[in-house]
Amino acid sequence: MEKKRILVVDDDPAILRLLSTNLKARGYEVITATDGEEALEAVQKDFIDLIILDIMMPKLDGVQVCRRIREWSDIPIIILSARGDEHDKVNCLELGADDYLTKPFGIAELMARINTAFRHRGDAKVAPAQSSFTTDGLEINFAKRRVTVKGKEITLTPTEFSLLQQLAVNSDKVLTHSMLLHSVWGTEYSSEKEYLRVFVGRLRRKLEPDPKKPRYIHTIPGVGYHLVTS
Amino acid sequence: MKDKERILIVDDDLDFLKIIKIILENKGYEVDTAPSAGEGIARISELFYHAAILDISLPDADGTELLSKVLEIHPDIIAIMLTGHSSVHNAVQSLNRGAFAYLEKPVDTENLLSVIERGLEKQRLVLENRTLMEELEQRNKITNTLLNVSQAVSESLDLQNIIDSSLDKVAVYTGIEISFIYLFENDRLVLKGCHGLKPKEIALMAGEIPRDGNIVSWIFKQAKPIIIKEFSDTTDKSITFLKETGCRSFAGIPLSILSESIGVMGVAAKSVNHIIDSNMELLAGIGREISIAVRNAQLYEAASSAKALKELDNMRTEFLANVSHELRTPLAVIKGSANSLLQPDVIFDDSTRQYFLQSIDKDADTLTRLVDDLLMMSRLEAEALEVKRKSCRLCDVIESVKDRLDNLAVRHQLKMDIPGNLPAVNIDDIRIGQVLTNLVENAVKFSDDNTTILIKAGRSGNELIISVEDEGSGIAPELHEKIFERFFQGNGSKTGRRKGTGLGLAICRGIVEAHRGKIWVDSQVDKGTRFSFSLPVG
Repeated sequence: MEKKRILVVDDDPAILRLLSTNLKARGYEVITATDGEEALEAVQKDFIDLIILDIMMPKLDGVQVCRRIREWSDIPIIILSARGDEHDKVNCLELGADDYLTKPFGIAELMARINTAFRHRGDAKVAPAQSSFTTDGLEINFAKRRVTVKGKEITLTPTEFSLLQQLAVNSDKVLTHSMLLHSVWGTEYSSEKEYLRVFVGRLRRKLEPDPKKPRYIHTIPGVGYHLVTS
Repeated sequence: MKDKERILIVDDDLDFLKIIKIILENKGYEVDTAPSAGEGIARISELFYHAAILDISLPDADGTELLSKVLEIHPDIIAIMLTGHSSVHNAVQSLNRGAFAYLEKPVDTENLLSVIERGLEKQRLVLENRTLMEELEQRNKITNTLLNVSQAVSESLDLQNIIDSSLDKVAVYTGIEISFIYLFENDRLVLKGCHGLKPKEIALMAGEIPRDGNIVSWIFKQAKPIIIKEFSDTTDKSITFLKETGCRSFAGIPLSILSESIGVMGVAAKSVNHIIDSNMELLAGIGREISIAVRNAQLYEAASSAKALKELDNMRTEFLANVSHELRTPLAVIKGSANSLLQPDVIFDDSTRQYFLQSIDKDADTLTRLVDDLLMMSRLEAEALEVKRKSCRLCDVIESVKDRLDNLAVRHQLKMDIPGNLPAVNIDDIRIGQVLTNLVENAVKFSDDNTTILIKAGRSGNELIISVEDEGSGIAPELHEKIFERFFQGNGSKTGRRKGTGLGLAICRGIVEAHRGKIWVDSQVDKGTRFSFSLPVG
């Protein structure tokens, strides 16, 4: 199997070397960039499977890089930041990042998050029993990972797709926060409720005719979410 | 009941005087008589008479002359001339001079009474009109004054300006020279300003007055004015200092807004005449204007301090976020490196393991330095940095950090231009050594290997100027101020080098300013940078 290629972006050379050494030791190919502009160039030039992105960087910061990449690509992005407050975290997830890890971090934790991101891309090949799902204008083709609303194709990031798939396969059942976090992200995410809130928000903005009065994904306050068919 | 109207009769015919007096008194008038012009004038000079009945031919004076004198004393008097048949000509002349009417002798009493009544009626109208006019003028004056005061005090939102200009206007518009204002603050009345008092007199005033217990606090609590027309032995002690200044009367005006008392204005005059009394209405109006302006200023002050507090709070939050960020970066390297070595799934080769250990060692040093810098920064900000000054020669200071500088600039050419005859300066040699080290470290960081770094010193007037010059990437003009702010990180650092703490220049500035010196930068992009600082000599 071809090596997965990871772009690591950080202006601190020690962090870059630390990450490269660990990723290479685990069989990944690593490309590095020390600022936002270099990062964008690398994404355009090379085929990149995943980006680990610092936020506070010269020239173009991580938040801007994330926004720019999301304009045309759904490459998984893991933010690795020294800024640990909730606001920064939610902001990055809203902008399309897939995950957010705060410095200092454990190597095992970072590797687990990289695996989660690749799993969302469908690499784990856990195909659902049914091949497609249709309700009231919303069509999902699980095999082709294609989503349309009233015939119009919608582009979803891998994580967004994983979440929608989980809701669709269990349509009309209420899925609790921890069930969803567990099945879409992984056990270590079970307390990250804001991930769920942000990604449901992202899905609604893409799918719902009126995101404020959702037709498909309904909130059960304090409990979880369910996808309503009829 | 209104006062009786007073009439004076001047005639040398004593019987006539008696009869007319009785008739007029029966009609309700108060009547005086005078048998001669001289006595008549004497009476009129003493007392106001509404009307005068004057015989035109008196032994000691010509009637028309008497009329002129009378009108001179009381221009509003109703003068009725009594003439004999032969002197009608004189009577007409009297009318021209201002007499109300003339009657021929023998006098028809009915006619006399009706003439007097008509005359007094006319006089009443004139006097009433005049009172109305005066009142109107007084109102006008008050309105204008209040307008002026209002304009003057609303020109500023500074409390002290408002108080000073208010008291100034009180003096200008009422002529009352001495005035003062207490405002209510923290359960006490606090003296905020005074006018017309000498410093030693002000020293006698209470700076603060408790809520209870004296006349000023009474005015404040009751929100009612008080007038003391003349000081006596029993006058409240809190204002007896005014006696020392030669004042004899006092008024206190409550300052209040929306029925909330906010303070007291006091005024005092050196005379016991009506200056205070007659200005009470105006003073109350001025008090209202002052209250509005004072309350506005207080609200503005409260709003600004809330804003300043919020800014301070934002700065603190930002500072903490920055500190946390700066600490987390080296921590991430330390934890990540140690963690890498602990992972069971990968066995690293010897040189990689060595590298991880070196990283831990190096970033532990970075953390230590960061903590030191933060400590230094917080001392500088709390103005708690201990500066141990002693007389030092600059060359000795440089000598003491020479090894450190050489180490830093090992890939550069470090040159010195320090004249031998520089005067000694009173400085903390260790701190100034730190400033030099920080500046050289910066120069190294932002210029290429093998370029020159020059440390130069010279005297300029009463200052020593020390500079560190490099041939590096330079600093854009818009950043010349910003670089001295804490946590500012320059972008031009050579790639591959670790960032600093972002505190170096902020610390330099703090240390130099603690020595009453200045620090600044001259730089051209791509040409080089010169940081200079000054230290006062002597």
